[in-house]
Amino acid sequence: MFMQLLANGLIAGAIYALIAAGFSLIYKTNKFVHFAHGSVIVAGGYLLYLFYSLIGINFWISVILTIISTALVGLLLNYIVYAKLRERKASPTIMLIASVGLLILIESLVLLIFSADAKTIGFLKVAKGISLFGAIITPLQIVIIITAILLLGFLLWLMKNSSLGKAMRAVSDDKNLSEVLGINTKKIYNYSFIIGSAIAGIAGILVALEQNLEPSMGSNLMIKGFTGAIIGGVSSVPGAILGAFLLGIVENFGIWFLPSGYKDAIAFGLLFIFLLFKPDGLLGIKKGIKK
Amino acid sequence: MISAYLIHVAIIICIDLVLALSLQISIGYAGLLNFGHIAFFGIGAYTSALLTMQGVPWIIALLCAGIIPMFFAYLLSIPTNRLKGDYLALATMGFSFVIYALMLNWNSLTKGPLGIPGITKPIIFGLKISNNLSFLILALVITGLTYSILHKIVKSPFGNLLQATRDDEDAAKALGKNTFKIKTIGLMISAFFAGIAGSLYAHYITFIDPSSFAMMMIIPIVCMIIIGGLASLKGTFFATIILVIIPEILRFVGMPSSILGPARQIIYALILIIILIYQPKGFFGKVVLN
Amino acid sequence: MLEIKNLKKYFGGIKAVDGCSFKLSDNKITALIGPNGAGKSTVFNLISGFEKKDKGKIFLSSQDITELKPYQISKLGLSRVFQKSRLFNNLTVKENLLISINKDNTQFWNNLLYPNKNKKLFEEKITDVLKLLNITKMKNHIAGDLSFGQKRLVELARAIILPHKILILDEPVAGVNPKIRKDIMKILSILKKQGETILLIEHDMYFTLNISDHIIVMDEGKVIAEGTPAQIKKNKKVLEAYLGD
Repeated sequence: MFMQLLANGLIAGAIYALIAAGFSLIYKTNKFVHFAHGSVIVAGGYLLYLFYSLIGINFWISVILTIISTALVGLLLNYIVYAKLRERKASPTIMLIASVGLLILIESLVLLIFSADAKTIGFLKVAKGISLFGAIITPLQIVIIITAILLLGFLLWLMKNSSLGKAMRAVSDDKNLSEVLGINTKKIYNYSFIIGSAIAGIAGILVALEQNLEPSMGSNLMIKGFTGAIIGGVSSVPGAILGAFLLGIVENFGIWFLPSGYKDAIAFGLLFIFLLFKPDGLLGIKKGIKK
Repeated sequence: MISAYLIHVAIIICIDLVLALSLQISIGYAGLLNFGHIAFFGIGAYTSALLTMQGVPWIIALLCAGIIPMFFAYLLSIPTNRLKGDYLALATMGFSFVIYALMLNWNSLTKGPLGIPGITKPIIFGLKISNNLSFLILALVITGLTYSILHKIVKSPFGNLLQATRDDEDAAKALGKNTFKIKTIGLMISAFFAGIAGSLYAHYITFIDPSSFAMMMIIPIVCMIIIGGLASLKGTFFATIILVIIPEILRFVGMPSSILGPARQIIYALILIIILIYQPKGFFGKVVLN
Repeated sequence: MLEIKNLKKYFGGIKAVDGCSFKLSDNKITALIGPNGAGKSTVFNLISGFEKKDKGKIFLSSQDITELKPYQISKLGLSRVFQKSRLFNNLTVKENLLISINKDNTQFWNNLLYPNKNKKLFEEKITDVLKLLNITKMKNHIAGDLSFGQKRLVELARAIILPHKILILDEPVAGVNPKIRKDIMKILSILKKQGETILLIEHDMYFTLNISDHIIVMDEGKVIAEGTPAQIKKNKKVLEAYLGD
């Protein structure tokens, strides 16, 4: 039982970690809550459905197309909306509200185009579960965990060692100083959205394969990812990843004790508690809540 | 036929207006970005529905629908006192969701996802509000009272102080003001009127279920108060009317319901984003969110 | 009236205030000066309750206010002007002052039922203080629209009109033009003649030496010298602290 719950927790955590990592990267660089990230994930799932299930393109090419498309969606959001708000020196609160508006916009478009009924993508789904260390786990679920770990490991390596990663951290630490030092901050903002949204696309693909797609999933996924990021430390990408895995595990162990209907409420409850008592998360750098 | 439709739209405007005005107090005047406001609306609706089903007279149920959310507002204000702006918005979203989860799962109280059907129409001192026209009159009275009470509150010295707390809480503290008490009272006022709106909603639609009170249902209301202008009751009044009417016009020109739903949201989202970029004070507001 | 005893405040490894003690003389203007990082603003924040001390005690009129919250300390008679402009930017100048002078505005029901209580009295007091500071024309302007110097004057007005026993001003003339600086010097002298007790932080030496009765010098979190302006001008320790040696 314990191993099953742990496995379920890791699978959920893997998806949350992908969501949290992309979100945290964007948050850290841009300094506002890009709530629409949730809808970018959903768009990713539906784009895979479009390319693979509706149009019939080869699965792997569809995956690549999806990732490129979601990266583009994220870039467009920054270019068309956020950049303008930034120019006008909008506060993080205004950016958050605009971001929620964008989430509604994208989700409504998805609803309009694809209608509300749940969609499934038949690939790797109908496979029998294997027994591993006392837990039943499907090949897809193993793929999810491995993909997440590999991808996130690559992301962390990128952030630490590449010049882009260093530039992003510089902008995150001190935007004005970075500009003085010759970093093109506008480009860095764009890159953060491209990379963060590409990861969101991958998360969307995995979600689409593992569960059914519904247009309104975005806000729920976003809050899960955001909660994970807060638990681990929202300004720290590794922290966000760790927190997200922890969230997945706590959620699944939590419904051992609580009625399963309260599963989502566990995440929200944790969010509430952490925002109140430990807003910098378990690993985070001090952000400082106003007194 | 047409008049029945217009009466329906007018009632919806009244309910949304009371709800929007209540949120304006919280966000525009008190500066509390309470994205969990729908929870108060829902608690009011359930309170009113459940009490009248137990035979409680509607007027009492209405008052309780206003008062019960105030307790929740008080409880919410304690832990969130130190949170600001976006962190407060997210924490209150969490609160909203927890209340939603309770509505969905506490079957013995709320009947869970099945909801509560057959809510009785209001009976005031023996007079049954049996048709929509009389309900409209009731709604207009309540909306009018709401507007004038809130207007008095914001123009009073307390209203001034609420706005000062929004503008600079530390400065208010340095002038000897207990800002926690002020913010809490502001939140409780907004919860009260949200609950009143909830009661009106429950007794008009006569059926409520948790889906009407999901966290994201706050978005159209947020649009109304921002587009109208923060800290402007007048702006909220006009914005609410316009935002309710626009989708109805679409329905009038024959847009099918399945498209109407998302189309409405798209319009709201677009207007909100455009306003935030080009006219963040909205049409009548003086205040930009800090 | 105001006394601090062995105040200590650390931020991580930094000893912002490291055993600071002084007694403020009544009915005088005292200046707290010292190089940047000496701990002056931290002392102000500790006195007014915006920072919590690590060690030490603060007394206002012999009452221990060390553990009190900012609004409680203010109610006991401390009126403060911040270094950064902290007006209620969306309210008018008059409304800013009304907030200050109306002690009852936290009473919700009272306000709703009797919104005009004391209205005339407040109007008079506001008119007086606006005249004192020569900003009568600004009365109905939105505070956020004013120039920097005008804002500082409104802040001063707001602090003066608050019923208080002691005024503490954090850099009242920093960044203002010479005319406004002169106006503020004049206002402070008038206040002193009325028997006010004032503590201020300033870097402007001309202003400080001319307006103060008493000067306290801080460096590295401690008081290193106290005395009249004449004494301080000649004090070797002070010169070292400012010029480094």
